[in-house]
Amino acid sequence: METIAQALRRILFFADCSEDALARTARVAHARTYAAGETVILEGYPCQAAYFIAEGNVRVSRLSLGGREQVLAQLGPGQAFNTVPAFQAHGMNHATVQALTPAILYAIPAADLRRLVGECPQLALAVLHDFAERLDHLTNLVEDLSLHTVRGRLARFLLEHAEADAARRFTQEEIAARLGTVRDMVGRTLRAFASAGLLRMDRQRIVLLDREGLE
Amino acid sequence: MENWALPEFDLLLCDRCGICVERCPAGAAEMGTDGPFIARPADCTYCALCESVCARHAISCWYEVVWGTDT
Repeated sequence: METIAQALRRILFFADCSEDALARTARVAHARTYAAGETVILEGYPCQAAYFIAEGNVRVSRLSLGGREQVLAQLGPGQAFNTVPAFQAHGMNHATVQALTPAILYAIPAADLRRLVGECPQLALAVLHDFAERLDHLTNLVEDLSLHTVRGRLARFLLEHAEADAARRFTQEEIAARLGTVRDMVGRTLRAFASAGLLRMDRQRIVLLDREGLE
Repeated sequence: MENWALPEFDLLLCDRCGICVERCPAGAAEMGTDGPFIARPADCTYCALCESVCARHAISCWYEVVWGTDT
C-alpha cells in the first residue's frame, strides 16, 4: 500500500522536496476522500488547511451577495487550493470548493505548511510558483470579465471546449458561472449565435458551424 | 430513443413546487410521488425551460460542445 510520503511525491508541489522534508510533510498531512458533489471547504470560513489533489477534480467558485456564482478554476491531480489564506494571518477561505468527481485530497494544516515552507526551500519555491500561476490566471480573468462582452466570452468558451480532447458536458447555468454572467444571458446569446448561423443547438449538443464568425 | 437525452432531476434539491411541470411547453413532465419526472420522453424537446424556471437549480440539461457541419 502506498504511503502518504509516496502519494505526496506524485504531487508537483512536493516533487523536489528532500526525503526528510517529505517525511515531515507526511507526518502532518491528512488524506481525505470526497464523493462527487461533496463540498470540501466553504468561502468565508476560517482557513484550517491547504489542500493538495492526489486524485479527482474540484471546482473553485465564489458567490456574490445576490447569489450569482463565478467559477474561478477547475483543478485536477497535482494541483492545490486554499494555499493563499494559509499564509495570511487569520486567513479565511477565499472560495468554495466542491468535488466534481470522487477525489482524494491531502490536507496540510495552515500552521504546519508555514513551518514546512521555512524548513524546505524547494517547497517554498513550489509555493511561489503556484502563487505566480494563480496571479497570472486571475489577472487574465479580470481582463476577460472587464474588457470582453458576454458574446465574446461565450464564443471563446465554445471554441476552447470544442477543441478540448476530453468530451465534457455543461449546463447553461455552469457556462454562465464560468463566464461571470447569468443563465438567461447565456441562453439568449446562444440563440443569437444560432440565428446568425454560427452554431446549431442539437439535443444535448452545441454544434459549432462557423469558426471565423465565432472568432 | 436509446440515447434520447432528457433533463436530469436532482430529487434531493427539488422542493416539489411543480413549476417545471406547469411550464413545460411540451407537456412532457409530470409530478410523481417522488417528484417531477419526464413522463412522455418523446414529447420532450430539450428546450431547457424547466432548468431555467427551477429556483432550486434541481434540473440539469447537459450539452457537449462539438464541431459540426451545417446539415
